[in-house]
Amino acid sequence: MQRLRGVRPVKLTTNERWDLVDAIAERTVTVGTYRQTIGDILGELTVKPATGIPVAVAVLYAFWSIFGSFAGTLVTDGFMVRLFDDHWLPWLQAAWPGPDSLLYYLAVGDPLAETCFEAFGMLTSGLFVAIGVVLPAVLIFYLMMTLLEDSGYLPRLAVLMDTVLHRIGLHGYAIIPAILGLGCNVPAVTATRILETRKQRFMMMTLLAIFIPCGAQLGVMRDVIPDLVGPVMLYLICGFGIFGFVLDRIIPGENPEILIDVPPYHWPAWENVARKLWTRTKGFLKEAVPFVLFGVLLVNLLYLAGVIGALADLFEPLFVTWFGVPKETVGPLIAAFLRKDLAVAQLSTIAMTPYQMITSVVLISIYFPCVATFVMMLREGWKQMLAAVGVLFAVVFVYGGLIHAAGILMGVA
Amino acid sequence: MARSSLSTLYVGLLGLATLASGLADILVWAGAGPGVTFGILEIAGGDFFRWGWGGAVMVFGGLFMLSGLTHSGSLQQSAKVLLGAIMVGIIAGTDLFALFCESVPAGEGAPEFFNTASGFLGGIAPPYSPAILLLPCILGILYLIGRGEPDDA
Amino acid sequence: MNEPIDTGTTVLMVGNPNVGKSALFNRLTGANAVVSNYPGTTVDYTEGTLIEAHRTCTIIDVPGTYSLTPRDAAEEVAVRLLGEYPGAVVLLVLDATRIERGLYLALEVIERGVPCIIALNMTDAAHDKHISVDAAEMERVLGIPVIETTAISGEGVKQLAGMIRNAKAADISAISGRLNGDGAAEEMVALRSGCSGCGVCGR
Ligand SMILES: Nc1nc2c(ncn2[C@@H]2O[C@H](COP(=O)(O)OP(=O)(O)OP(=O)(O)O)[C@@H](O)[C@H]2O)c(=O)[nH]1
Ligand SMILES: [Mg+2]
Repeated sequence: MQRLRGVRPVKLTTNERWDLVDAIAERTVTVGTYRQTIGDILGELTVKPATGIPVAVAVLYAFWSIFGSFAGTLVTDGFMVRLFDDHWLPWLQAAWPGPDSLLYYLAVGDPLAETCFEAFGMLTSGLFVAIGVVLPAVLIFYLMMTLLEDSGYLPRLAVLMDTVLHRIGLHGYAIIPAILGLGCNVPAVTATRILETRKQRFMMMTLLAIFIPCGAQLGVMRDVIPDLVGPVMLYLICGFGIFGFVLDRIIPGENPEILIDVPPYHWPAWENVARKLWTRTKGFLKEAVPFVLFGVLLVNLLYLAGVIGALADLFEPLFVTWFGVPKETVGPLIAAFLRKDLAVAQLSTIAMTPYQMITSVVLISIYFPCVATFVMMLREGWKQMLAAVGVLFAVVFVYGGLIHAAGILMGVA
Repeated sequence: MARSSLSTLYVGLLGLATLASGLADILVWAGAGPGVTFGILEIAGGDFFRWGWGGAVMVFGGLFMLSGLTHSGSLQQSAKVLLGAIMVGIIAGTDLFALFCESVPAGEGAPEFFNTASGFLGGIAPPYSPAILLLPCILGILYLIGRGEPDDA
Repeated sequence: MNEPIDTGTTVLMVGNPNVGKSALFNRLTGANAVVSNYPGTTVDYTEGTLIEAHRTCTIIDVPGTYSLTPRDAAEEVAVRLLGEYPGAVVLLVLDATRIERGLYLALEVIERGVPCIIALNMTDAAHDKHISVDAAEMERVLGIPVIETTAISGEGVKQLAGMIRNAKAADISAISGRLNGDGAAEEMVALRSGCSGCGVCGR
């Protein structure tokens, strides 16, 4: 690049630079009179707390309602359950040779099962969870998230949440990784880079990995334990607050005030929405589906080898006495390391009381991030990752016990 | 003048109606009763998410419309009314979408996948939630605001 | 068709957050970078290839930054990339509706003495807000090419692609001179016609 060297680098002071900026702008920019439109005022109303909080409540309502109607009622319950339970499962059970063979056990599972959930073979439960339940869930989830991202609502939500999040040592902008994390924790981990200090990044990464359930997991929860989603979410949000507060006190570092830059609203461009939706869904099909199938395979193999039985016996005191859940939940916990959606699906087949179900689903969510998130955290720095894992174990232990205690106090556990 | 007071009256009544139906949603849910039906209006209750939370959204929608009433005509106030209308629109829209999603697949236990035409029509027939019934009037608000904007701005 | 020639040039897209860098990048390279309406979408870099007039160069979509003094990890990536590619052409993306802070960053980059070109993006939004920016005057004052673009519709993108080879390093004192109407500095740089020797075109 020798050809450039006619120009020597210089360094202006901040003031000199601003003066120059002003001079250039004065020369080149003319601002005509602009009258506020009703859209601009609507934009302001959505950041003022008095009107903004109700709007946020409404947006959340719309999000969950559409999610449930589309993924749950229409696609999964309306079509997929029928397709898998009435056609795919009986056909596979009849067509696959040798119901006593190992291969049958791994691929199809229980020869007498009547639903794909119960069968627990790779091609039955695995495919059903991945395609029948989670695919429609992530599809609609990503669609709505893309609309939120592209309209410009997210930074407004950040402004609204600023006061609350400052209480736990975070900045309003932390809501962005949190919302992205509701879709999938993997991109959310990288998105923590927009936070200012190392402390904030560490806190957000840890809290994200522990307390934010992903869209796939939400989809399965909505399908198998629709009535318990509320309490589970409540426990997760409370945990986010409590442990955020504690971490804020323990971790040294500061929480600077910054201005949130709020862009104007605009209509999402459909090409961009379609493009993002396609990229994300493709990513899901390529990366998550094999993991779900592999997860089923692994859990089945571990069952056969007696590993899960042994672990269940080993952890029985912890699970039964401390967390108050059946020892069989050890199996799903192992699957949870691969995919949380699969683990929740598996939990739903274990007999337990509603409160035990709430506890175990919360445990699944907060216990270890899934492998993909884990790798992502590792990429952001192994020291931080190790510290996060340390925090995680402490949180699982303490919070699991707390939930159990709360249940005992309420007389339901 | 007459026009604007007429539209104030319209928005006011609609705001009150929205507020009332929001409160009714919440009360029916909190009473945990069997739900109420008047003609084509139905408040099913039972489900916290739809009737508790959704009812709260309706209440806010009504309040926004009412708070936008004074000095109607200023852009600021029209925006509040519009926001209220959007809140009701959100509830009505999601209700309609839910009806649609329930009615497209065939009923439980049926061998085929898609509902029959008559089954579908039966599924989307009344009774409706208050938000859906308010929806046509809400569209009236959009008309008022759309018409008002050029001479205000 | 024979293979396009690789010029070996790297172009860094630098600008404030949310000015449409990724949208422009997708237009220029046909890539799939994530575009969202909030600052801080891109937190890591993406590479793509621009093929223009039968020559290719590498374009890097850099995370948005407000200045070259990084405030967060995403901005650190931006500053690090500028350091890692000292010879790269910098495509400065400015939001026409919020020119000032874009110019601040632009000047910081220009001060480094690297060849630059400016894309004045969001011209559609500026038009709607009755803000007009005189691109020709800005080009004359800064001494580097300024091209108006609208990344979401693709307007101006082709022209921008064609002008990248004309990127120029600018001299701050000459800029101040031109602003003060100093006659000596008024030697007009022939930006549009002919070659300024950035090498993209291989001349
Ligand atoms: N009106 C208008 N909108 C644009 C234009 N270019 C981009 N946008 C929109 O601006 C928003 C931001 O675009 P991005 O490409 O994500 O911005 P970015 O500069 O990459 O932002 P960061 O990655 O956060 O630094 C998106 O919603 C785009 O659709 C344009 O020319 N006109
Ligand atoms: Mg970007």
